Amino acid sequence: MNPSASLPLLQNALTVGAILFSLGLVGILARRNLIVMFLAAEMMLQGISVSLVAWSRYHGDWGGHVLVIFVLTVAACEAAVALVFVLQAFSRTGRLDAAAWQSLREANVPRTVDHELPPIDTVPPRFPTLTPAGVLPPEDEDARLERDHV
Amino acid sequence: MQELSPTSLLVLVPLLPLLGAILTVALGRRLGSKAHLPAMAGIAGAAAVAVTLLVATARDVGPARGHGAEPVRPVEMISTLWQWASFDKAYAAPPGSPAADLRLESQPLSRDAALRPFSIPVALRLDPLTATMLTIITCVGLLVAIYSTGYMHGDPGYPRFFALVAMFVFSMSMLVAASNFLLVYVFWEAVGACSYLLIGFWFTKPEAARAAKKAFLVNRVGDFGLAIAVFLLWMTYGTLDFHDTISSQGVIMPGILGQTRLADAGGYVGGIVGTAICLLLLLAACGKSAQLPLHVWLPDAMEGPTPASALIHAATMVTAGIYLIARSSPLFMPCPGALALVSIVGGTTALVAALIGTVQNDLKRVLAYSTISQLGYMFASLGTGTLLGFTAAIFHLLTHACFKALLFLGAGSVMHAMGGVIDMRRFGGLRRVMPITAATFLVGSAALAGVAPFAGFFSKDEILAALHAKGWATAHGGHHAAVDASPFRPASFAGEASATWGPTAADPVGLDALDSPATWQILFWMALVTAGLTAFYTFRAVFMTFTGPTRVPEGAHPHGGHDTHGHAHDSHDHGSHGHHAHGHEPQGHVSYESPPAMTFPLMVLAVPSALIGWLLFSTNWLGHFLSATPSFTATAVASTATPHAFHMDLAVQGTIAAAIGIVVAAIGHLGRRSDGPQLERFLGPLGGLFANKFFFDQIYAALVVRPLEGLAMLAALFDRYVIDGVVDTIARIPLALGGIIRRSQSGLLQRYALAGVLGVLAIVVLLAWQLRP
Amino acid sequence: MNGFDPFSPGGLLAAGVVAAAASLRLLLPSGGESRSLRWLGGLLGLAALAAFIATGRRLGGLGEEAVFLIVSLVAIVSAAATVVSRSPVYAAIWFALCLAGVAGVLLVLGAQFLGVATIVVYAGAILVMFLFVLMLAQPAGLAPYDRVSNEPLLAALAGAVLLGVLSLSIGRLSASPSACCGLPSRTGPAAATAPAPAVTDADPLAADHVARLGGELFGRHLIAVEAAGVLLLVALVGAIAVVARGEQARAAAAADARAAGRSLSR
Repeated sequence: MNPSASLPLLQNALTVGAILFSLGLVGILARRNLIVMFLAAEMMLQGISVSLVAWSRYHGDWGGHVLVIFVLTVAACEAAVALVFVLQAFSRTGRLDAAAWQSLREANVPRTVDHELPPIDTVPPRFPTLTPAGVLPPEDEDARLERDHV
Repeated sequence: MQELSPTSLLVLVPLLPLLGAILTVALGRRLGSKAHLPAMAGIAGAAAVAVTLLVATARDVGPARGHGAEPVRPVEMISTLWQWASFDKAYAAPPGSPAADLRLESQPLSRDAALRPFSIPVALRLDPLTATMLTIITCVGLLVAIYSTGYMHGDPGYPRFFALVAMFVFSMSMLVAASNFLLVYVFWEAVGACSYLLIGFWFTKPEAARAAKKAFLVNRVGDFGLAIAVFLLWMTYGTLDFHDTISSQGVIMPGILGQTRLADAGGYVGGIVGTAICLLLLLAACGKSAQLPLHVWLPDAMEGPTPASALIHAATMVTAGIYLIARSSPLFMPCPGALALVSIVGGTTALVAALIGTVQNDLKRVLAYSTISQLGYMFASLGTGTLLGFTAAIFHLLTHACFKALLFLGAGSVMHAMGGVIDMRRFGGLRRVMPITAATFLVGSAALAGVAPFAGFFSKDEILAALHAKGWATAHGGHHAAVDASPFRPASFAGEASATWGPTAADPVGLDALDSPATWQILFWMALVTAGLTAFYTFRAVFMTFTGPTRVPEGAHPHGGHDTHGHAHDSHDHGSHGHHAHGHEPQGHVSYESPPAMTFPLMVLAVPSALIGWLLFSTNWLGHFLSATPSFTATAVASTATPHAFHMDLAVQGTIAAAIGIVVAAIGHLGRRSDGPQLERFLGPLGGLFANKFFFDQIYAALVVRPLEGLAMLAALFDRYVIDGVVDTIARIPLALGGIIRRSQSGLLQRYALAGVLGVLAIVVLLAWQLRP
Repeated sequence: MNGFDPFSPGGLLAAGVVAAAASLRLLLPSGGESRSLRWLGGLLGLAALAAFIATGRRLGGLGEEAVFLIVSLVAIVSAAATVVSRSPVYAAIWFALCLAGVAGVLLVLGAQFLGVATIVVYAGAILVMFLFVLMLAQPAGLAPYDRVSNEPLLAALAGAVLLGVLSLSIGRLSASPSACCGLPSRTGPAAATAPAPAVTDADPLAADHVARLGGELFGRHLIAVEAAGVLLLVALVGAIAVVARGEQARAAAAADARAAGRSLSR
């Protein structure tokens, strides 16, 4: 029996881990962006790590720690390979949308398309301008390829 | 040979053709053109055995004694093959029936009489009637088989034909030899089936298939009657055997036609049950023997090969009805009304068929209606209920078998030579090119028409005598005593009066009113008129076919070229009624005569057709021989015996009628071209009525066939829409359910994952619930 | 469990779970941009957090409690923000913050190495990879698929049910293994009457934590470590292979197109 075993600490930490895990589950099931889905998956792994370390602290041994290290390793491998696939998927469809892939549906089920969404009325930022004087500078290649909004 | 007793030989008569049939079926293909050998060997063996048995039975019967000597004792030999079914305590007899009868002079029944035993032995009985029928069946069958080797030569179904003929001989032999009503029923059906197969032999022809179906279905109506009759017989008499049997408890079970019951004056029931049995047996006989109203199948049955028509529809199968009623004669005796109905049916059929036959242009059709008419004669004779009537019917059956088979085979010879053409208007004057056929056909026609001294004359005369005597006897209260001679009253009847017989049961149906002197008088005159018509249409056919300018249709086979004909013997050309293909005049001395295989049976049959009538009548051998049949030794039947005599007055009447018919036919057709103006037009509307066969087919089509087709259509609709509808609806339920569930397969992976997660959560919650404190 | 007392620990927990579910449902992107609903969702979320805090166990001292509360709140709030953010880049940044919170929780639990490793590996490497991909693939402006969720209600319910079951099970934990299904006690470990064994530094809380961790890893779990190394190599090779094959296919397709164009122009 671990003298520093503290049940309340264990319970609180396990609760945190459970909340993280649940949030990650909701994120995977609900969000359609592939990257956000992966982030939620990583979050589930974080919740598990917290739980494992809590148990390891409660029992006073290294089992949980070791397992978390391996979880870390596997998460890294998984992230690498999965992101390659995400990029492949993106190159096929041009979008990072999980709902872009519907070929597994039954023959008589029509393709699910999104409703038309109301446009986001954002006011484009107004930048101050100076009246042009002199020669216009040559066009900037980089500026043309940059994006102004992420 | 002492060890070969008649009882053991009896089984050979059906067995040998059966073996022949089986061998033909097994080896037919390999034997090729020799496929007739097993069947013919079987039938020939059966014929030899049948003749041996006939001789043995005749020896048993003994020589004829004068009338008035002690009554002939019945002759029968039973040969039981095996027990088909046997139950010791089978049923309780209805009270009052002979089955529960205790008046029989036999051992007293056991105490346990409430439940009587029941058994069906496969037993054959040899008695004079059976011996006669077996001889006819096997000998005619043998001649037909010999004939068929020539007629069916080159037909692709050659082995099948012989197998069927052998099968038929087997079935018919068993039918006449069986000593049990149930066996009779079985083989009744069997001969019907063989008839169906033979009529529809060329089944690729739609008319043949239709005719076969019609024959079978019309026979079925009769078979239904026989089945119900068998049930009633069992209920009434407690057994279906003809002969007396001894049950396992040592009790003598009197057979329906066994010695015990025949000797008992009150052994047979009258009243409703008895009359019902008789009428049902009559229905069965009408179906099989093509009497009104079940006669419609026989003319259409001419679609089959001519040898089959000769065997089945002239000589043997159609005589099964005659046999049945003759065999069941003691059953009919307490029901005079039923007997009268038998005669009325027979007489009417004879007349109607003769009228229809006068306007037929198809040679085989003429012969078919002639068969129906002659069978009607036999029925009329049977219905008199006297020993003379029964024996006259069997006598006529014998002579009819000879000359009708001869006529049919002759018609087949003509058809074979004319290349399948049988319409008489398309050929003529064939006596010059087919002399043997013409001569034998003439002999047969004379026999049919009743020209003395050919066979038919004597048998027809006996039938007329029976009818006249019955009429006279009915008018004089049932006595068969003779009164003083007078030109047109029977002078030759003498003998003691016969007591009225049988239980004087009330006549509930009123059928006995038919048994009045007027009935018999009318029947007598109908028979005379029919005799004249018979002579007319027979010689009309002879003159149209064999006299006049010699004309031969296209496609006829001269003597050298008959080997190459195929099997498409069109039995009739319904083509054009008026002017036919003109054919051509054959040059010189081309012979169209048939090969020896076909003319030999013709010549063989011509001999008895000419002689057998005179031979049997003058010696009264057949009458004496048949009177030893157990059925005819029943007190009721034997008491009507009259001395054998030649009735000159009736002979003269018959001959005058025949002469009138021949003369009218000669006026119309002798020496003329056969495609000249036809009798139909001469008769006017009557001719139309005759030519349309009295519209029987049309009436049946409207009354029976159309409603049945309607019912069948309803049943088909019910089956398709209700039953299939239910099944299809049940089948569509999984499809529908699947369709609903399938819509959830959207292809969106997150939805699939959501479903999986929800399932896992359900399990987790369940576990948590189970493990709660 | 007779009657339902809303202020019993069980009742509060249930209320908290329900509130959490509702808040998630309202906060998840749903096409329409109703600000009031999002504010409501946020409030409900805070209420849920309050409920959970109220049912939390009391740790030793106020300092301990405060530290634990702060780091866990950071982790949880940023985790929620990750899941509900419209823009995936914002989600990534919130995730980084969540990692920081998680690292803090791990440090509170005494896992020094793991806490730092989380920051270094996750936030430093994995998250950066995610951001790279986002830069490559994310369209300008909010994509339509970022503004809708897939079955938000059912997903929120699933999360809520899971959370509820887990909380229930956690609440039933007790010190002595034999009384595993006893009622949750407020006052801490119940079976402190067991004789205390020899007081040793609990291994993970020892001073030379990392050394001991290394000893543990390469001692008892050597083969697993080696296997993990192989796994990393395999992942590396695999990733390159997939990309290379894709490149090959693209090059072949382009060559075919050029050949077709040349043959047409001939």
